[in-house]
Order: sequence, then C-alpha cells, then structure tokens
Amino acid sequence: MAPSVVFKNVSKKYKMHTKTSEKLLDILLPGGYGEDFYALDNLTFEANWGDVVGIVGVNGSGKSTLSNLMAGVIPPTRGEVQVDGEAALIAIAAGLNLELTGRENIELKCLMLGFNRKQIRELEPSIIEFSELEKFIDQPVKKYSSGMRSRLGFAISVNVNPDVLIIDEALSVGDQTFAEKCITRMESFKDMHKTIFFISHSIKQVRDFCPTAMWLEYGQMKDYGPAERVLTEYEDFLQEFKLMSAEEKRQYREKVAQIRSGALQVT
Amino acid sequence: MNSTFIVLREQIQNFYLVRRLSTFELRSENRNNYLGFLWELINPSIQIGIYYFVFGFGIRAGRDVPMEYLGKVKFFYWMLAGIVVWFFVSQAVLLASKSIYTRIGMISRMSFPMSVIPSVVIATKFYQHLLITALVFVILQFTHYHVSIYLIQIPYYMFSLLALTLSFSLITSTLATIVRDTQMVVQSLIRVLMYLTPILWQPNEKIIQWVFKINPLTYVVEGYRYSLLGGEWYFVHHAYYTLYFWIVVIVMFIMGSALHVKFRNRFVDYL
Repeated sequence: MAPSVVFKNVSKKYKMHTKTSEKLLDILLPGGYGEDFYALDNLTFEANWGDVVGIVGVNGSGKSTLSNLMAGVIPPTRGEVQVDGEAALIAIAAGLNLELTGRENIELKCLMLGFNRKQIRELEPSIIEFSELEKFIDQPVKKYSSGMRSRLGFAISVNVNPDVLIIDEALSVGDQTFAEKCITRMESFKDMHKTIFFISHSIKQVRDFCPTAMWLEYGQMKDYGPAERVLTEYEDFLQEFKLMSAEEKRQYREKVAQIRSGALQVT
Repeated sequence: MNSTFIVLREQIQNFYLVRRLSTFELRSENRNNYLGFLWELINPSIQIGIYYFVFGFGIRAGRDVPMEYLGKVKFFYWMLAGIVVWFFVSQAVLLASKSIYTRIGMISRMSFPMSVIPSVVIATKFYQHLLITALVFVILQFTHYHVSIYLIQIPYYMFSLLALTLSFSLITSTLATIVRDTQMVVQSLIRVLMYLTPILWQPNEKIIQWVFKINPLTYVVEGYRYSLLGGEWYFVHHAYYTLYFWIVVIVMFIMGSALHVKFRNRFVDYL
C-alpha cells in the first residue's frame, strides 16, 4: 500500500533580519541575505494509512512548522513533501472572520477549501450539529467565547472529511464533554484508516491516543517509532534538562542556536 | 506567457467563488453601521458636492465644458458622468493592492487560486459602482441628456474598466506583499492620477492633453461620458486609442501574472 505522507529530506529555512534594509537586500540579492534559521532540518519519514502519530517536542522545536508543511500552508525550502489526498489542519486560530456569523463562516471556510455550492449545502447541517452552537450559529463570531470559536473551527475541519488530519494543540480548549466528543470522532477516523497527526504538549494525551510518536528537537527528528519508546526517551530528556545547572542550560541553548543556523552538524 | 493562462484560467473557473466571497466581504464591511450600504452612496454624494463647489463654481466660475458632438456641456453633468469611474478605480486599486497581504492568513492552503483575491475585492467595489452609476443615470434623466442608443456601449466600458483595474492590481498586490512600501506608492499615485485624468478639469494645452491620453483611464472615463450623455460611439471613432488601451491592459496583465505566479508560493514567507 502506498504511504499516506512522505517527507524526503525536507528543510524549512527562514532568514533572520534585524533591520528592514537587510530584508530589502534579501529580496534583491540572488543568494539572499541574512542569518539562516532552520525551523526544520533535513526531515525524512513516512506515515502509512491509518497511522496515528503523536508529535512531541519542546517549544520552538518545529512542530507547528511541520504541521503547516503537511497541510500545505507553507512550501518547503528544500526537499519534497507528498501527501496522498486532502490534508486538514486544525489549530486554535482557525482563521475565522469575526464580523461574519458562524453560518457564514462555515460557507466561507468551505469555499476556501475548494468545495462547490452543492457540497457546502450538504455539509452545513452536520457541521452546525457537531459544533453544538445552537442559536449562536447566526451570531457574529466576535461574540463567541474562545471555546465556541474552537468548537466551530473543529466542527468544520472534521466534517469536511479529510484524508489526513493534523491536530495542532486544538483539544486543549473546550470543555471535557466536547473534548470527549472530539476524541470519539477521532477514534472513528482511526477506524476509517485515516492518517492522524496529533501535536500536543500533554504526554498523557499522546500516550492514550497514539500508537506511534515522533520527537522533534531543534528542528530535527530525534526519534520516530512506537509511542512507548519515544515518549520514555522524551521524558528522560525533559528530566535531564530540568536537572541541568544554569550554565549547562546556557551552553545547551548556544549549541542549539548554532545547529539551527546550519553552522554545526549534529552527529 | 504560461503564467498569463494560469491566471486567466483561475479567474474564469472561480467565478462563483469570487461572487460568493465578495458578498461576504460586503456584509462584513457594512455590518457595524446602522445605515449600512447607504454609506456607499452618502460618501460619494458629499464628495461630488464639494468638487462641484470648488471646481465648477469656484475655479471654472460656471463655464461649460466642450465635448465632441455634444457641444457645450454643463460642468456638473460632465463631472458626474466621469467621476463614477473615479470612485470605483481609486478604492478598488487601493484595496486590491493590499488584498493579498491582509488576507493571506485566511488562506489555509497553497493550492488556493490566489489570483482571485484581488478580483474579490474589485468585485465588491463593483457592486457599489453599479449602484452609483445607476443613480447618476437616473439623475441625468431629469436633464436634457436623456437615455440614448449610445447607452448600450456602457457594458463594454465597464468590462474595460474591470480589465484595467485587475491587470494593474495584479502587479501592485504582488509587489505590496513583498515590499509593503508599494502601498504608499500606490496611494500617492492615485492622488496624482486624479488630476491627470479628465475628471475634474480638462486641459487646453495640446501637450497636457497628450499626457492625459497616455493615461489609459482617460479612455474609460471618456467612454462612460459618451455612454451616459450620449453623442458618439467613442471606441469606434477613436479606434487607435482603443487599440492603445488594450495593448496597455494586456501588457500589464502579462506582467502582473508573471510576477504573481513567480512569487505566490512564497507569499506566506513574506508575512
């Protein structure tokens, strides 16, 4: 069976600029200008249909960059990203128009995702039902609470029936019952053999939900495999990091900064 | 050349998308005002009043404007028939130029046909334009410039206007995303252009008349005048000017599409 998501030597590089004149030089010079920053460095992995992968890593390790690359929101600087089918990214800031009502946002979002009039009419009732917004569906989104907003965003993303689902910290909002409903929906996606990537800071959530896990550190893949092994390694690392002295932490951060500017190769 | 077809195809295939998105745009724009859509008429009326006061009453001291075939035309009617174009162009170009970088967050995937974003903004302004033009048409029925056979050429000029605005916006929206300063340049350019188009005044000197003619907008403004006031088939009588206009539009469209297609995958990186 063909894999669902393939990353081949994928890097995402940003340029760091301190002045606007440097930005201008970067545009004008053919080789670009500015210090490099590797958000992701030479990432290679495959995920098969039906895989549920938890992605863990400390802040700024490249988790969100990875999810954006998979969803096709941003292009890679180098390498190749292949996603079989349609990928949907669920994030807290789900790009809703605050002036429009929930119902209008559903249509807007679906239009942006490339659905036609008929498909949208079919999808709308199930999205509204899933969101549990009741009367609020015809109120402008700016009057929603943050929980209601994420419920709407989540309802849209799971109901458009994507082949690959990427969940970026989206379950941390909303109350317990809604979170459970989302997990149930996710379980049904699992049964339908859809590929799910689950990004979370909660090791417990990942352990409960994902058989496989990936650990990112300074933009590189530290480990990818059975969740139990990867998560234990990750926990050990966190423990070790906590025990470091201030000086050791500083040295470690310096090393990371060098790695990310591409100056140092990790072995 | 390939990019020209890409953009052209996107425009045609996504016609429904443009229509829907522009109605959403309209709704979110006017939702907070009690008078809502009415402001789209009140604002221009105030501007027309003050322009007439300064230019017609003040500077021209009530003198009429000479036009081919029509003879002398009252300044107020002359201005009214041309300024509708200006209200549209000034706003559409300004908003379309910043359309991409203000909306890039809304677009959740790269495969979205990004060239329709300026079109959505232009379409939004075009509804308003249709309304104002209709209103001007009604006002003119109370003067001796009644409806004539020449009115049927107005859809052609509307199309020309849209083509010109879109081609120009394709260039500016791309540049403005990469270098934000472009927006400031566009703003100044529009202010200058207002006086280099026969909207509020018409020069007598041959050389300045030429400068006016280089500006392709002059073609559309004059076209609107001869449609609303009647008089002649402007695009036929000025066939060479018609040719010049379309060459300018097509060259801008080719340039704009090439720029747009070259940079659009990296738009997100310029945020």
